[in-house]
Amino acid sequence: MGWTIGHPWWGLTGALAIVLTQQWVKLHQLDHWLRNRNRRAPPDAGGLWGDVVSQVSRLHRRKQFHKQRLLSLFRELRRSSATMPDGVVVLNTQHEILWFNRKAGELLGLRRKTDHGIALASLLRLPQFGRYLEKGDFSSALRIQPRIGDAVWIEFQGMPYGEGQLVLLVRDVTRQAQLETMRKDFVANASHELRSPLTVIAGYLETLSLDDGVPADLRLPIIEMRRQSERMTAIIADLLELSRLEASDEQVIGSPIDITALLTLIAKDLAANNGTRHGVEVRIESGDGLMADAGLVHSAFWNLAENAAKYTPAGGTITLRWWTDEDGGHLSVIDTGPGISAEHLPRLTERFYRVDPGRARDTGGSGLGLAIVRHVLQRHGGELAITSEEGRGSIFTCHFPPSRVARQSFALNGDSRYADGVGA
Amino acid sequence: MDTADLSPHISRRFNEDLDRVRNQVLAMGGFVEQQLAKSVTALVEGDSSLGEAVAHDDFHVNNMEVSIDEECSRILATRAPAASDLRLIVAIIKAITDLERMGDECEKIGYIASRLAAQERPVDKYREVKHLGRVVQDLVHDALDAFARMDAEAALRVARRDRLVDEEYEAIQRQSITFMMEDPRSIRRVLDVMWVVRALERIGDHAKNICEYVIYMVHGKDIRHIRIEDVERALKDGNGP
Repeated sequence: MGWTIGHPWWGLTGALAIVLTQQWVKLHQLDHWLRNRNRRAPPDAGGLWGDVVSQVSRLHRRKQFHKQRLLSLFRELRRSSATMPDGVVVLNTQHEILWFNRKAGELLGLRRKTDHGIALASLLRLPQFGRYLEKGDFSSALRIQPRIGDAVWIEFQGMPYGEGQLVLLVRDVTRQAQLETMRKDFVANASHELRSPLTVIAGYLETLSLDDGVPADLRLPIIEMRRQSERMTAIIADLLELSRLEASDEQVIGSPIDITALLTLIAKDLAANNGTRHGVEVRIESGDGLMADAGLVHSAFWNLAENAAKYTPAGGTITLRWWTDEDGGHLSVIDTGPGISAEHLPRLTERFYRVDPGRARDTGGSGLGLAIVRHVLQRHGGELAITSEEGRGSIFTCHFPPSRVARQSFALNGDSRYADGVGA
Repeated sequence: MDTADLSPHISRRFNEDLDRVRNQVLAMGGFVEQQLAKSVTALVEGDSSLGEAVAHDDFHVNNMEVSIDEECSRILATRAPAASDLRLIVAIIKAITDLERMGDECEKIGYIASRLAAQERPVDKYREVKHLGRVVQDLVHDALDAFARMDAEAALRVARRDRLVDEEYEAIQRQSITFMMEDPRSIRRVLDVMWVVRALERIGDHAKNICEYVIYMVHGKDIRHIRIEDVERALKDGNGP
């Protein structure tokens, strides 16, 4: 066209300008459509631009399709999770709430609109639950009473996933807790009711065994009946003590106990019961005392010492050893008995568990001694460790946490602040 | 926290610091709630060892107050927070004082409960105290919920409920006077119970204070020593009281 008017360069420039303007308009249309692609039909542009537009709209359709599918899947998941009988809460690494289902909201009093992103422990505010999350050990579930005095019990089970996120299962276990309480109450009541008739039987048997008028052939049976009734009395006494211990999970506060005096007393009683069958050795390696309930601790230590005496043959030695270190206070009862094979060790503190059913009954134990020891230690934040080697003897060690060690200078003053009914 | 997320100049570490100290306050609140529940249970059930445990455990509350206080001072000194963050820190410093006082009141109730457990229990089995205790526990619980959710409306509703506690307190006081006139031998025990009731009433007041801090934190308005109705009107109009 430029040549026709004699100015080829002007013509070329003009043509380029037109082409550029066309391209610019198309680019602009494309941009406009991309910005509002949900509301507008794709622009009708031929050639290369048309290809680009159809590519983009295909990608867009595909994305739309996936989005819809994910969204409907998510809705389905949410709807189905609402029918779950258990509560589920998903927490992020800071233990803030990411998501929870309807049941969890009901059980924990969470609100769907406001509570996302808030730390769960801040809303529940149960000290035990805070510790459970912080400790990060989710091998066991946590069972708590959200409100003391209410009958409701809730169980939490954490399941970590990813990098520190957590799925928390929340279950209402009120029914199980009630059954458990009923079982405990039953044992306590039954033992209590059995005690009175048994006292009468034991009383008469004692009188009869001392009565010279009883025919000689009845004498042995009466002595045996008397022995067995004493055993029953001991079992019932232990059952009652166990139910008292089980009645509360609350930690015992207690007062400082002089361990030296306690162990000396136990050693003396042991010698008195068993004569000179064994040597009894007391090794006090620390002058520190123990913050504990004197009655409970005496019963636990006595049970261990008596057990050792029962299973150690004549001529053996029983050692009572007390020491303290940075891990806390420790008391060991070491015997030179036959020992216990490893397979029995984990079950030893179960009620009525017998290593050797035939032999153990002769010793007259109730089968509840170690269960009592375990419970006493639990109430003091301690634990029982048992090591044993067959043929060499066993070591039963009570470990108490450092907070339970009473340094010798430690003395409690009588607290009289509110003695007059006048508050601080 | 939404408000903090909107301020890009504040670093992530700072947000984490604030969140942590806030969670610590609520953990302390949770412990105080538990102490309160235990102390009332100890009195109502006549459980002397539970009462002793409450009195013994009060030092935890004190320790928590000290450590949160230190953390707040550290944040003030090193981060110099402004606006809503500053209000949060100020509110926290005040709230922990109230929580610590609540702890002291619980200690007192626990102590008296352990002493009363050894004595003869009244015919009504402390029913009135139990009821007041429940009302106060709900109040503390809802005040701390409002704190956790930064919910000023809920805080206002809770603050209004403090009146119930005061009414209940008056009723028990009148009833106690009747008891003492009927049976002078009960005077000592009734006086002890009055200390418990008084402590519960004080705890209700402290819970109300915490609600006021929540409103201060969210709206930046100080509503202390102002009648609740005026506060409501002021917040509705958007003007300072």
